[in-house]
Amino acid sequence: MNISRKFCGLLTAAVTASTLVFSSAESAEFPDKPIEMTVLFGGTANTIAQLLSELMSAELGQPVVPVARKGGGGAVGYSYVVGTAPNGYNIVWNSNSISTSRRTGRIPFDYTAFTPIARVSTEIPALAVNPSTGWESLSDLQAAVKASDRKLKVGISGKGSFTHLTSAALFDAMGIGDKINFISYGDGKAPVELLAGRIDAAIQWPGQFVSYSQAGDLTVLAVTADTRAEILPEVPTAMEQGVDVNISMWRGLAAPAGTPPEIVAALQDAARRAVESDQFTEAAGNIGFAKAYLGAEEFGNVIASDDVFYGALLSKLGLAK
Amino acid sequence: MDSFLNALALALTPMSIAAVGFGTLLGLVFGAIPGLTFTVALALALPVSFSLETVPAIGLLLGTYIGGMTGGSVSAILLGIPGTPSAAATVLDGHPMTKKGLASLALGTAVIVSVFGGIFSLIVMVVSVDLVSRVAIGFGPAEIFALVLFGFSTICGLCGKSLLKGLISGVLGLMIMTIGLDAIEGVPRLTFGSVNMLQGVNLLVAMIGLFAVPFIIEAFSEKPHNRNAPRPIANVRAKLPSFDLLFRNLWLMIRCSVIGTGIGAIPGTGGAIAAFLAYDHAKRFSKTPEQFGKGNIEGVIAPETANNAVTGGTLIPLLSLGIPGDPATAIVLAGLMIHGIVPGPALFMNNASEVYGMYVAVVLAYLWVLALQLLGIRVFIHVLKVPRELLAVVVLVLCAIGAYSIRNSAFDIYSMALIGVAAYVLVAIRVPITPIILGMVLGPTLENEFRTAMMLSEGKMDIFYTSPTALGFIGLAALVIILQGISELKLKRKNGRKVQVSDA
Repeated sequence: MNISRKFCGLLTAAVTASTLVFSSAESAEFPDKPIEMTVLFGGTANTIAQLLSELMSAELGQPVVPVARKGGGGAVGYSYVVGTAPNGYNIVWNSNSISTSRRTGRIPFDYTAFTPIARVSTEIPALAVNPSTGWESLSDLQAAVKASDRKLKVGISGKGSFTHLTSAALFDAMGIGDKINFISYGDGKAPVELLAGRIDAAIQWPGQFVSYSQAGDLTVLAVTADTRAEILPEVPTAMEQGVDVNISMWRGLAAPAGTPPEIVAALQDAARRAVESDQFTEAAGNIGFAKAYLGAEEFGNVIASDDVFYGALLSKLGLAK
Repeated sequence: MDSFLNALALALTPMSIAAVGFGTLLGLVFGAIPGLTFTVALALALPVSFSLETVPAIGLLLGTYIGGMTGGSVSAILLGIPGTPSAAATVLDGHPMTKKGLASLALGTAVIVSVFGGIFSLIVMVVSVDLVSRVAIGFGPAEIFALVLFGFSTICGLCGKSLLKGLISGVLGLMIMTIGLDAIEGVPRLTFGSVNMLQGVNLLVAMIGLFAVPFIIEAFSEKPHNRNAPRPIANVRAKLPSFDLLFRNLWLMIRCSVIGTGIGAIPGTGGAIAAFLAYDHAKRFSKTPEQFGKGNIEGVIAPETANNAVTGGTLIPLLSLGIPGDPATAIVLAGLMIHGIVPGPALFMNNASEVYGMYVAVVLAYLWVLALQLLGIRVFIHVLKVPRELLAVVVLVLCAIGAYSIRNSAFDIYSMALIGVAAYVLVAIRVPITPIILGMVLGPTLENEFRTAMMLSEGKMDIFYTSPTALGFIGLAALVIILQGISELKLKRKNGRKVQVSDA
């Protein structure tokens, strides 16, 4: 039953996507047809989106269909959604990538091309090292790097990626920014490279480190937000260790600019109830992200202030265009 | 033992058996239809799994994965269009068998050896997950680069008559994959400022174009005298492989299972590489290598055993390290995470009964595959009775839907058509298509691993020859190329002599 509905949803999406732009569906009863949620990335982004859309479908009474438009560091999906009609039937599962995509010149529009709907979750990056190094804190790492004439090998998921930005900001704040050799790996491979000892340190999502940390195969030195990660409660923040860094990734929903306020409100409401559900809470614990609902207006402020922050950071790192 | 019995109780409930069966069927159907792949099937099954209990949920996802892996061979053998990239090597001998009227024999063999490969890899996984994952960790960028290079050297065996044309085809595949945002520096390449080009050419889209579009064009360009009496593709006979045939090839099946499991265990490789390596290996050690490409059953056994052995292999890094080997297992990983099963070293302590439940689910899935496919063959082969041009229309529609559904992008339909027309031209001038697929599958890995290795070594080449593993695979690749060179020379000399004789 469920699968046939999903499949119908997919087919409907397939059929309507081409015609959607031309149809002006602004009826009193929103929604009266399936809503397409564009997903920009795989990994946890995709997992959370799948669950969120399932829960929102139940709230809205119409299927919310997660549709993957990956690639180009988010540019492909953002460009697609920005070109659709602002009627609430095309929304995007967005993140800080709206600012990084813009500031690295991959998309010709910025966050103002979208109306924020709601922030849904945050993920706090964590820094791990191989236990054979003997490092227990950021200052151990800092001292070792300063004493050595070798560069620290740090695994990231691609130049200009969020893990790259976070690593660069952290090591810059620690005063060892010029002794880092960044090594790009594809999705999720950095922990293995760290286990095998081919790299010295890596910043990834806490969920990827928990199992290794429990088994004593990796040491997690710090998280980069201003609060500790729920899934790694014993790991101190960088700020607690005297390094002034506060970076976390948020994910939320947005629609093309000009979407009517009452439709935004309906979507915001559905998102809020989905986030408050038990199933979502449970998944947050399992996957290692934090529930972080914010309404449209506050979410908009977060996006705007982040855009300035990432603009400055990218310029400092020489990645801005 | 307790947790095993517990798992058995969990995995053998009617709900679990039905979930695995449904997943297998879904995977088979999506795998078998050219254009729709099991990655799409998994994406559809994932939300359904949210509302199920843990073991049935995992069973559903694993069933879809395994069903898809075997389903890919159906259209590869019947129509010459691989349902998934891992079935691309099966086309080489599977489709010629269909043309000889041996479709059901090829299909039956493919199913049985698939199940053999799958169960073999599961056993390897159960008994040696720790050992294998430790070996797999040893494969860093330099080692994977060397392995993929070795995989690339099998192009020599796929070229058919002209090595030069084979190489042209392989390089075309490599070049196509450089389009888009590069994975390391994030620099757009050959995109001409278009956002659509930024996402690059999808492997599946290209594969549909390469195999399906020439099929469609050929169907409509048949000579006019055929128009009144539509010609079926081949005669249909329902015949399954004999026990004797399978037993004779047992040793080949075991070797290919080992190849598949090993390749599957190394993250970042996958079914297609395993299938091509197994095919090349079978051809090289066959007593009748000249029969390959003309409908040799060994050419079906080797890739089909290997690509299913990959399923158990990929579960090794997935469960012990939390590393998905390909996009399909990434979706399985998402399903596990939602149900609170976090793969990694702590998994076998925290979730022992779920892990055993997974093992049972894999066995169940293969039993379903065996039952569904062996029954299905009787139905599948009727496809061959459909007149070619009618079939082509269906394939055309399915391929357009398939190309669109992979990334939900209309642009992909156009690129499929463009690549397809180019493929038709290549076929017409006798450039083999398979090396393009090989180039496309291996190209991105080859490039990324090489560049990552160079970053690790800070630009020094010694990273490739100080690792014994890497050196070993580079040596094997060199050996394959040298052997090919020698046989080319011999052939030339023989032909040269023939010419002289006829002159005299």
